[in-house]
Order: sequence, then structure tokens, then C-alpha cells
Amino acid sequence: MRMIEGGHGFAGDPRAVGGVGGHIGAPHSVVGQRVVRHDARDKVQAATAYAGDWAMPGMLHGVVVRSPYPSARIRGIDTTKAAAMRGVACVLTARDVPRNTLMTDVPGQTTTVGPLRAKLHVLAEDRVRHQGEPVALVAAETLEQARDAADAVEVDYEPRPGVFDAEQALAPDAPKVHDEGNLLAHWRIARGDVDAAFAGAAVVVEGEYRTQFVDSAYLEPETGVAWIDSDGVITIRLSTQVIEHFRDVADVLDVPQNRVRVIGAYLGGGFGGKEDVTVEVYLGLLAVKTGRPVKMVWTRQESLLARAKRHPYRLRYRTAAAKTGEILAQDVELLGDSGAYAYLSALVLLYSTVTACGPYRVPAARVQARVAYTNNPPTSAMRGFGAMQTVFGYESQMDRVARALGLPPADVRKANALRRGDTLPVGQVIETHCALPELIDRAWAGLGAPTPPRAPHAKVGRGLACNLQPYGRIVWLHDWASAWVGFEMDGSLVVRCGCPDVGGGQASSLCQIAAEVLGVPIDRISVHIADSALTPLAGTTTASRQLYMSGNATLKASGELREQILGVAAKLLETSVADVDLAGGEVRAADGRTMPLRQVLAACARMGVPRSHLAVYHAPAGEPVDLTKGSGKIFPDYTFGCHAVELEVDTETGRVRLLKHVAAHDVGRAINPMSVEGQIEGGAVQGLGYAMMEEVVLEDGINLTTSFASYLIPTTVDVPDVEAIVLESGEGLGPFGARGIGEPPIGPPAAAVANAIEDATGARVTRLPMTPERVARALRLLT
Amino acid sequence: MQPFEYAAPASVDEALALLARHGADAKVLAGGQSLVPLLNYRLARPRFVVDVNDLPLDEIRVDAGRVRLGALVRHSTLAASAVVARECPLLTEAAALIGNVRVRSLGTVGGSLAHADPAAELPLAMVALDARFELRSARGSRTVEVRDFFSGYLTTVLRPDELLTSVDAPPTRGAGTAVEEFSRRPGDFALVAVAAIVTIDRQGRVENARVAIGGIDGVPRRIPAVENALRGEPPATDRIARAAELARAEVTPQSDALASGEYRTLLAGVLTKRALARAVSRAMAVPA
Ligand SMILES: Cc1cc2nc3c(=O)[nH]c(=O)nc-3n(C[C@H](O)[C@H](O)[C@H](O)COP(=O)(O)OP(=O)(O)OC[C@H]3O[C@@H](n4cnc5c(N)ncnc54)[C@H](O)[C@@H]3O)c2cc1C
Repeated sequence: MRMIEGGHGFAGDPRAVGGVGGHIGAPHSVVGQRVVRHDARDKVQAATAYAGDWAMPGMLHGVVVRSPYPSARIRGIDTTKAAAMRGVACVLTARDVPRNTLMTDVPGQTTTVGPLRAKLHVLAEDRVRHQGEPVALVAAETLEQARDAADAVEVDYEPRPGVFDAEQALAPDAPKVHDEGNLLAHWRIARGDVDAAFAGAAVVVEGEYRTQFVDSAYLEPETGVAWIDSDGVITIRLSTQVIEHFRDVADVLDVPQNRVRVIGAYLGGGFGGKEDVTVEVYLGLLAVKTGRPVKMVWTRQESLLARAKRHPYRLRYRTAAAKTGEILAQDVELLGDSGAYAYLSALVLLYSTVTACGPYRVPAARVQARVAYTNNPPTSAMRGFGAMQTVFGYESQMDRVARALGLPPADVRKANALRRGDTLPVGQVIETHCALPELIDRAWAGLGAPTPPRAPHAKVGRGLACNLQPYGRIVWLHDWASAWVGFEMDGSLVVRCGCPDVGGGQASSLCQIAAEVLGVPIDRISVHIADSALTPLAGTTTASRQLYMSGNATLKASGELREQILGVAAKLLETSVADVDLAGGEVRAADGRTMPLRQVLAACARMGVPRSHLAVYHAPAGEPVDLTKGSGKIFPDYTFGCHAVELEVDTETGRVRLLKHVAAHDVGRAINPMSVEGQIEGGAVQGLGYAMMEEVVLEDGINLTTSFASYLIPTTVDVPDVEAIVLESGEGLGPFGARGIGEPPIGPPAAAVANAIEDATGARVTRLPMTPERVARALRLLT
Repeated sequence: MQPFEYAAPASVDEALALLARHGADAKVLAGGQSLVPLLNYRLARPRFVVDVNDLPLDEIRVDAGRVRLGALVRHSTLAASAVVARECPLLTEAAALIGNVRVRSLGTVGGSLAHADPAAELPLAMVALDARFELRSARGSRTVEVRDFFSGYLTTVLRPDELLTSVDAPPTRGAGTAVEEFSRRPGDFALVAVAAIVTIDRQGRVENARVAIGGIDGVPRRIPAVENALRGEPPATDRIARAAELARAEVTPQSDALASGEYRTLLAGVLTKRALARAVSRAMAVPA
């Protein structure tokens, strides 16, 4: 690991404050420091109370009864036997749910999102559409009793024909997953004269690629505890990326939204899998029914069986290039599998459509994207959110173009890299610096001296891949976040923000920002996060948006608070506001005088000047664009990156051994470099899992990979140390010029590995994951 | 996991008495590395669990010309044993390939053999070594040859009231031995594993070759076609390769979520070649 400072000399640039409440002089004293996060300390000491660690007196255990069939009609459900079993408190079916519809379009959003209405039943009524679909709920005194009772719920299923492949789902005679048909969403981009560009191209490269279902595979499965608090409020403490689901719980229970409170625990991983509703609605139903606290912990098998996955795609690319390597046109056709329900599929597909041509200038582009319902497990948000599958397509194509023209792959990418002022095929102008050429050079150079092969049958190769990933939500969602920052009388500071911490250090980064602006030592700050009743709402911890959104809200609140306090301090010191500063937990005047903060705060109280500030940050907003007209801003901004890998292929078995991995990203500004490196390393490893081994294997809708013995994720011995290269252009829209870095690092690894395999062996793998068997096939070791 | 009764007897006789009393309702608990997952998945639902970890069955010794391993010898102990490395290095290599360090420090020889996973290393090694198993019950004891011990996928001839107390195998001094396996990740069960034992005669030809393969059928087994093709031949690289190719024709493995049967067949050939090549080079290095 190493840090490369201020690639473009932006360090300390006052512009970098991002235009919100900035009073920040360079150099920063806390921002940019390798601060040891409070949550890291807690976690390594096992002091963190995760959702599953919560227990209450008289607590029941809840279990979900799930469909064993991927497609069936429910003729009847008999719960009498289960309800009569020892220890059973209640058994619930669809009939017991006050409002059995859950809206799933855009979690946490407060504005209408147009045509994307997506919904499902909380508990299945007369049909199940995927294996593992929830059908009934059981609560009992012990977990074992609840499991036994769940086994005893008698559901009369009539299996029906299903469809298990997106292509087949779109055939005219395919069984309909939903009455309105199997085509869920369709996006198009048409820009420039594509056909003319192909006609005039020096080289045309065609490729078809396939990506797989993968699981979030967080170590902490879906978990929570619900109880009716002494004030009668239904309170649910769980592992979630979106505390705003309190509204969905209220709607399902048919109670006012202010009668439900969601508390988000520090998460043991989210990756998008906890963006949609998981256990909270079931917990709410059981707690209300029994009047007792209820705990629900999904097993690993349940989570792997039925939780939303990443969409498998079929990607078809035709790329036209000039002799110089200049990309002239892209013709892209995407088809995704939504599984049984819509969830966020339409938006995931939109991200794919917008990113389909990669971080390159593509003057002519045709993108057609569709996503279809099947009777597979549902697919929804997952780190990368549709901007990931496309990297495998466009970056495989870039290498093939380079190869066809005999040009170095790095050069072809640099020549086509987006620059400020360029326009994406969707019509969005790139308004910030794109550091791609530098990222490519650094990543490639980072591989160092070539590793010699270990055996005569081994071949070593190198590859690289770049990506762009939006951060922040689609502009027409009118995204906002709020934060409250306030001093206690002793000068200690409190930050309140509704932001869930998924493990990326979200809470700690807010403290760093407040510490920087208010000159308070970071250990004098308490941060309260993710409580829908007590912390100002901050939106979802998804879309690489929390540092950007809640960070800006905290920066703004801290800046306003600073003004308030300094105003009073200047009066007390009989000087001007410009001549006082907050540092080291005290007020310092330009002439060297100091005053304890405590004294200023007491004066604030006396003078009626608030010692706190609540700020709302509104992201740049826009209206929905017509993608085919290609004229509009879709996302606030993008993060760019480049990964380079070196690997060794066993040409007798197809086994790939990863040797080196270098991951370079322009993060704008690293608020905490350790957190940034953590995101890059973790993202790269998760991306390598996608590249090499992770796959939810389904046979006619039946999941064959419901344990970690068959669903393989990389462990420390499967991946090399990831070398993170952090570039800080100061060009992001977040606090101090930061960009989002949560999602971006997962994108490039798969394509980089595929490109390195071709470099080593001449064989191209076009299907993920690149298992030894698939590599063996590409090497023609198998027929 | 479902509730069960539990006892941790201190003597073999006590353990056998408990097994005799509870019969098919009882399960022996050794390292727990296979049984505990089965309990968690509710695939095993014993009413009684007999924890054998306190029994004095963890000895490794050479006795009557055979290497004898008590059932409670841990995989890590086996991998680290100097006696085993000298007398029967195939077992050292096999034990070191099992799972990960956590599994090896708890898992036992007896547990692995009784569990009889077709891809497990120790059953494979025992098949290659022609091992013998010592089984005891309150009714008495019996000795079972390896070819009779494994009866199918995860099944053996062990009766519900029987305890596997030890296993013994002839030393392989003078031979070259090797295990080659292929798993999707290091530490996973092998997709295919091959064990080879080769002796070279004074003329430098293969005197005897024993080759066993696991992960293909319900139980690990020998591949006589490969063994016969090598016997009496000079162990040149191309001959080894040709003999190893025969392994492919001898197997018809199943497909599962981790690999197809076709790919396992490819591996059977490659791993047989690599195991033989290493066993041969070790056999050649043995001082005559
Ligand atoms: C993550 C993981 C990876 C693994 N990878 C591998 C691998 O790569 N290769 C491999 O070979 N194994 C692997 N294993 C399994 C491991 O080797 C187990 O230790 C072994 O299979 C069982 O041994 P145990 O002592 O843990 O037995 P237990 O789990 O305690 O028992 C297993 C079975 O044997 C019975 N049993 C145990 N001892 C006796 C006895 N003396 N007499 C009669 N019956 C008995 C039990 O009743 C039970 O049915 C892995 C396990 C895990 C958890």
C-alpha cells in the first residue's frame, strides 16, 4: 500500500470545499489523516453491538416459511398444526398482513420516481414466483421451536411451469411471471451516426459476454430485533442500509409513519443487499401481533437462497475503431435477468445503459438495454449497481481493439479517455477532471518487474481495465441529506446524522469533517447515527453517496455552527470574526489570546445564540431525461479508476493464480486514507471473487449454492495483496473535493483478469466467473 | 441444531456401552468438523451424542511392521509426526492438504475415515496404502480391510454401536509417494485427488505402482489400468504421461455446482500424471 498525494496539485485548494459552508484553511489537520476509526477500535475488541447481538427479556424468535418451488400456485395454507406446537406464539400468513403490498422502487426516496413503480407481496398470496419466496411467519419462545413450527406449516402448492432465463422469458410463448408480461424495462441511447461510423472503421470488434448471478455474501446475514417501546412506538433495531424503511413498515402495518422507529446498527456488510427491505417488515408484523420483542436472524442458507442477487447479463458489443485506436462507435445490446420481482432492476439497467461505453469518448453510440422477469431469485442493488457488468463488456472490447490494431492496450485507453467537457453518449457533460491517463500509467507501472512462470506448463500475463462509476443518486430523485452538529456545555461535540454505517467508516468520516471545521479533537466527538426518530434523516448508505451527501450536510452544519460560535467569541474578545479561530478545543485570536471554548459556549447560552446547527444538503437536481434524445445529466458526477493485474495460468488445468493487483482511483480527496484504501482493497477483492469464483448456480430456478461450501468467495489465500493507489484531484462534489469510492473499486477486476488471461495464453474468456473449467474450455482442453 | 443428550466418557468401554445402549439414536463426536455442520443443517438429528475426545486413542506408533494411528489423532498431529514422515510420508502429505489450519487442529483421522467423504484425503491415502481398520463394539472387535470398509458415498461398514479405534498401514520405505489434488480454492475439498506409490527396481524400471483416485465415485478407488501400464516399464516422462491418460478412460465422474464431470475427467489425467511424476522422482532418489 502506498499513498500518492495530490496528483494534480490541488491539495489545499480552497475550491475543494465544494461550495458548501467552507471556512477551511489548508493544510487540513484532521481531514486527510490516517485516523483510527472509533468503530474499528470497537470491532476489534468485539465491543460493537451488531443487530444480532441485541437481546431483550421475553424475546421471541421469528422464522420465515419459504417456498420450495420456483413457480407454483398456492391452493391453501394450513397453520393449525404449527400454531398448536409447544412454544409457538403466532403463525402469520398473507391474510394477517394489514396491507400486503411493499413498494420497492427507490428505497429511502421522498420524491416520486415516475414510471418505475415496483412492488411485491409481503407474504405470498396465491402464487410464488421464486424458490425461497416468503409465504408465512412463525414466532416462538425458542429458535428451535420456531424452526420446527415453520416446518409444520402446511402449504398446498401446485407447481407451475416457470421460465429461468431472460432470453427465454422474452419469447412470445414463455410462461408469464407477472400478468403484465416478462419485459420489465427497456432503455435506449442513440447518439451520432453509428452505421456510418462502422462503415468507415479500420477495425470492427464483436464480442458477446455473459455475467452471472452473485450474492452480496456479507458475513452478517439479515438480522434484527423489534419491540413495542414504552411509548407504543414500534421500534426495530436491525442491520440495514436504509433506515427510511420505517415508512414501509408503517405502510404495511397500516399505522402512521411516526409510530415506527428504525434504529440502524453498525453493519457487518451491506453491499446493496440491505438496501431493500429485509427483516424489518416481518419483525414489525410479529411484534405487533404478539406484543413482545421478536428477533429474526436469517441463516446463511436462507440468505444465499432467497436474498436479491446481482443481475446476470448477456452483453453484446460491436466496437468500431480507427487505425489510430480512436473509438468511433459502440453498438451495445444488454439483457438482464430481474428474477421474480422488479425491485431496483429498472434503475440498475439504467446505470448499465449510461455506462455501457465506458470512460471513453464515443462519438456514435447505440445502446439497447432490456431486463426481464424470470422465476429465478430476485435481483436488485449490489455494489456497482449495473455499472459493473458493463465493465466486463467494454474493457474486454478495448483490449480486443488494441490487439486487432497491434497497439498497446494502455495507449488505446489513454487516447480515448474522457476529459472535462466531453459528453457521454447519454448526453451528460463531464464537468470535473478525469484522471484516467494518469491512473492507467500508475496502475500499470505499479505491477513492477515481471514474475517468471513457476513451471513449464505455466504462463504469466498482465492486463488492465478502467471504469467509471457514478456516485450520488440519479439527479431526478432530488436527493438530500441532513445532519445536526452541536456543542455540549463542556466543549465536547455531538454529531447526529441518519446515515447508516455499513463498515466503510461513514460515521467516523463525519467526525473527521466536524473536527476539521470546529477545531475539536476527534476523541471529544460523539456521533449518533441511523435512528429514524432521533437523528436527522440522511438517506441511504448506497450509491457511493454517504460521504458525498452526509459529509456535505455535516460540513455545512459544522460551518454554520462555526460562524455562530466565532461570532460570539469575537464579541467576547473584542475583535473581528476574521481574527478568531477554533483550534485544539479553544478559541484563538490572531494576537495570541485564547479563551476556553466552555466560556464562549456559556456566553452563547446567555446571549441566546444556538450551540448547534441542523443543515440539509441538496444534491444537484434535475428532471428525468429522455435517454433516446441523449440530452441530459443523469448523475451528479463519476469516479474513475484503473486496475492492473498480473497472473499465472496453468495451461494443463486452466487454474489461474493471481500474482499482483494494483488498483488506482481518483478519490478527489481522501478524508481518511485508511478508509479509502480499505474500500479499494475490499472492492478489488470482491471484484476478483466476481471474476474468478462467485456464482449462484441455479438449475431451473433451484439454487444449488446455498452454503459457503458451494458459493465460493475469495479468502486471504486466494488473492494477492491489493496495492491501492490513491489519487487526489480535489475535483469531487463531496466535502473537501471528495468523490465516492464505495462502489468504484469492484468494477475493473473481472475485465483486467480476462485481459491478462488473453495476454498469457492467447485465449479469451467471455463468461464469468472465469473458473478453471471455463479457462480450460477457452484453452481448448475441453471439447 | 436440535437438542440432544450428551456424554463425554473417559474410557473406551464406557463409550461402547453408551453406543450399545443408544444404537442408531447416537452419534459419535470426534473433531466435530463434519458432524457439527450436519447438526446445524439439521441433516443429522441424533438424540444422543457421545463425545470421544477424552478417550486414549490419540497414539501414533509403529508396531508389528505397520504404522498405527489411533482414531483420535488430529490431522495436524499426523502432518507434523516425524515417525509418519519417515515411515509413511504419503500420510504426511495427505494430512497437510486437508482443509485449513482450524479444521486440521480439530479434525481427527477416525472422524475423516468414518465420515467417508469421497473427496477426502485420508480415505484416499488409506486406499492407496492398503490400510486396515480396527473396529470395536461392546460385542467385540473386528479388523476390516480398506477395500471392505467404505461402502458408498458417506457410508462405511461401521455399525451404529461400533467405534473405529485405529487404522494401520504398511510403511512405504523404499517407495516414492505423492498426493496431487485440485480444489477450487486452497482449503476446499478436492474436486479430484490422486495418490501414487511407486517403487523402482534395480534396472531402473517401475517395479510396482499403486494409484488411487478420489472425488470421482462414491468411494476412492485404485486405477489398475494405470498401475499395470507402468509396471516393468522405465519411468520416462512420456510413458508416465501415456499411462496417466488411461486414467481418463477409467472414470465417469458426476457434475455438480463446482465442476462438470468432463472437467473432473481432465483433472484425473493431469493429476495422475503429476502424482506419478513426483512419486517416480522420489522413488529414484531413494538410496538403493
Ligand atoms: C471448512 C472445512 C473444510 C474441510 N476440508 C476438508 C478437506 O479438504 N479434506 C478432508 O478430508 N476433510 C475436510 N474437512 C473435514 C474434516 O477433515 C473433518 O475433520 C473430518 O471429515 C471429520 O473428522 P472429525 O474428527 O471432525 O469428525 P466428526 O465431525 O466429529 O465426525 C464425523 C463423523 O464420523 C463419526 N465418527 C467420528 N469419529 C468416529 C469414530 N472414532 N468411530 C466411529 N465414528 C466416528 C461421527 O459420528 C460423524 O458421523 C473439512 C471440514 C471443514 C469444516
